[in-house]
Amino acid sequence: MSDPNATVSSSLPILAFAVPAVAGALVFLGRKLGRLYWQSLAIAGSAAVALAGLLMLPDVVAGRALVSWGEEFRVDGLSALLVLAIGLVGSLTAIYSVRYVAQPGLVSRLGEPAGERRMPVFYGLLLWFIASMAWGCVTNNIIMLYVAVEATTLASGFLVAFYWDRRALEAGYKYLMLLTIGITFALVGCVLIYASAAATGSLAGRQALLISEVRSVAHLIPARTALIAVAFLVIGFGTKAGIAPFHPWLPDAHAEAPTPISVLLSGVMIKMAAYALARTVSIFYPSLPQLTVFLVALGVFTMLLGILAALPQQDLKRLLAYSSVSQIGYVVVGVGLGTYLGCYGGLFHLLNHAFIKALLFMAVGAVIYATGVRRIADLGGLSQRMPMTAACFLVGALAIAGFPPLNGFMSKVTVYLALAQSGLWWAAVAAVLAGVLTMVVMVRAAVAVFWRAAPPDVGEKVVREVPAGMWAPMLALAATCVVLGVFPQLVYPLLDQAAVVLATVGR
Amino acid sequence: MNPQPFHGDVIQTLSMVVVITSVIAVEVRRLRLAAVAYSVQALLIVALLLSFAAINPALYWWAATALITKAILTPYFLFRFIGATGDREIKPLIGFGPSVVVAAALMIAFYRLTHSQMSLLAPTAMAQQEVFRVNLAVASTVFVLGLYCVLTRRDAVKTVIGLCLLENGVHLSLVSLAPELPETALFGVATEVVVTVFLLLYVIAGLRREFGTTDTFKLRELQC
Repeated sequence: MSDPNATVSSSLPILAFAVPAVAGALVFLGRKLGRLYWQSLAIAGSAAVALAGLLMLPDVVAGRALVSWGEEFRVDGLSALLVLAIGLVGSLTAIYSVRYVAQPGLVSRLGEPAGERRMPVFYGLLLWFIASMAWGCVTNNIIMLYVAVEATTLASGFLVAFYWDRRALEAGYKYLMLLTIGITFALVGCVLIYASAAATGSLAGRQALLISEVRSVAHLIPARTALIAVAFLVIGFGTKAGIAPFHPWLPDAHAEAPTPISVLLSGVMIKMAAYALARTVSIFYPSLPQLTVFLVALGVFTMLLGILAALPQQDLKRLLAYSSVSQIGYVVVGVGLGTYLGCYGGLFHLLNHAFIKALLFMAVGAVIYATGVRRIADLGGLSQRMPMTAACFLVGALAIAGFPPLNGFMSKVTVYLALAQSGLWWAAVAAVLAGVLTMVVMVRAAVAVFWRAAPPDVGEKVVREVPAGMWAPMLALAATCVVLGVFPQLVYPLLDQAAVVLATVGR
Repeated sequence: MNPQPFHGDVIQTLSMVVVITSVIAVEVRRLRLAAVAYSVQALLIVALLLSFAAINPALYWWAATALITKAILTPYFLFRFIGATGDREIKPLIGFGPSVVVAAALMIAFYRLTHSQMSLLAPTAMAQQEVFRVNLAVASTVFVLGLYCVLTRRDAVKTVIGLCLLENGVHLSLVSLAPELPETALFGVATEVVVTVFLLLYVIAGLRREFGTTDTFKLRELQC
């Protein structure tokens, strides 16, 4: 392998978040223009993130980090993985939203003419939301990491409350309040890391702000200071990532937001917070090996609590939201383990879950689009009338349940193996148990919505398959789930580089 | 490092008044007075930043940013919101008496902590000086008082004030923990808080219209 500190100067890290940010500003500036203008900007802006992610790959896979503006922005394998996921899920969401928002009552309130007045706000904030997530993944400045994570909250806060009814407003209030409190804890953690790195005296001035530099002096930071910093970071970024017991905002926000926003929240935002957590806490893996057991325990608790809460859910979106809590547990377990195999599995699951949960939320959005209902008890027998949605939902349900040969199976098995390799059998058993429960929850929901006989009042409604603009992104995601399950080696070069960034032992 | 550039006694006095304004902001039942207490605290923080700026010119920027975001914009949003509503806060979970005891206990605990365990909290040589110990004790007290306010107040406006206190606590601690932080980082940190306050009050205004109250305990649409 080449020198791990090799860097290449590049403008890609800046472009990855600057393009969607500018596109968002253009949407706001052109709010008198038509829907076509806003929507094409949204698609172009988010596609630019995906493109930047793809263009980063050749250097990153070769083990070189892309840097710009000194080392203020730095993209290694881990950052590129996140940028790619954000870009791909973001562009598919933008495409999906084109038809979704046209349905009265979904983004506009009922009775309004498809919300022409509010739509530029929707697309402008959507672009800024994507931009802030990409920014957080490329910045190398530990304080700016906090600023970016808080910026995602601010950009999405209004989107969560977008329907402006009782439920959405309550969810929006909780979202903004809880996440801001949480993230303030993360700020304390980040500042403590910066202060203690500066105090080691080995880094000159502003170097102590750069995460990549702090890693090199982590062993000089006193263990007790490091523990305090980690505690603050786990509370802070953990709240944002939806780690139990800091998750109560998550089901409310993910369920009440408009579906394209739910896709982004569950698909990539919580992953970006998990990235921030991994990026900062992993600084101390070598000097504090006892952290791993703590993080694994936290992850196991999260995955079990999340899926147990999903079990009795009748609301499809809340069910998916609780399942996201559970799945982020797998990511935390894998990455928290700190071994190469664990990090590989955790990051693979992060990528897979981004695709799977985006797919599932889009499918539920399609059901809401077609029927206007999201309670499982009020739905049924949709497979005949919505075959494409039914097939896509089933693929997503099986993938998230870890059914071979889909992608969720591959990443979950990697996490199980990593746990067994480290001798944490209790955690492996708990993870398998959570997997079985996920199977029960998801397959039961799929059967109830699509294959059970329809309740009488649904049977009378005219329900039709959603337009191609909506099922095409779902189909693309479903195909990705299958392809990554059958050919997991496709993402090996990138995941390998990403896992090396975090892992301390055992490559 | 030479402690002379500081007016230690001035800083001590200002710091104590910051704690008093926090307690008032948390305790006063009239929202407008609470917002006034918050504004006074913001001005005190600006004064504190200026008196610390002798060691780090970046703190002048920090003070200017704090003046605009904390002392002008945040109170403006608060007053504009309260102006349109009743001035009385919805009765909190924990009343005045116990709260004062909590505040006093916090202050004493943090004062002792920063004087015995300083190296743990702020591992810099500079932070061992008396003024920074006091600063950190005050910052921690304000932080926890803010958290206490968010947790025990039912009125949504009070929870926003509590959030502001929480942020003030952290920002105050930056003086001791990260005195050499560049302006851009400080600017980013300060701007976000004021945007958060604006968004929260905007959402709370929507809540008030839909629910007819700012009582957070009445938000029971999304259970289980």
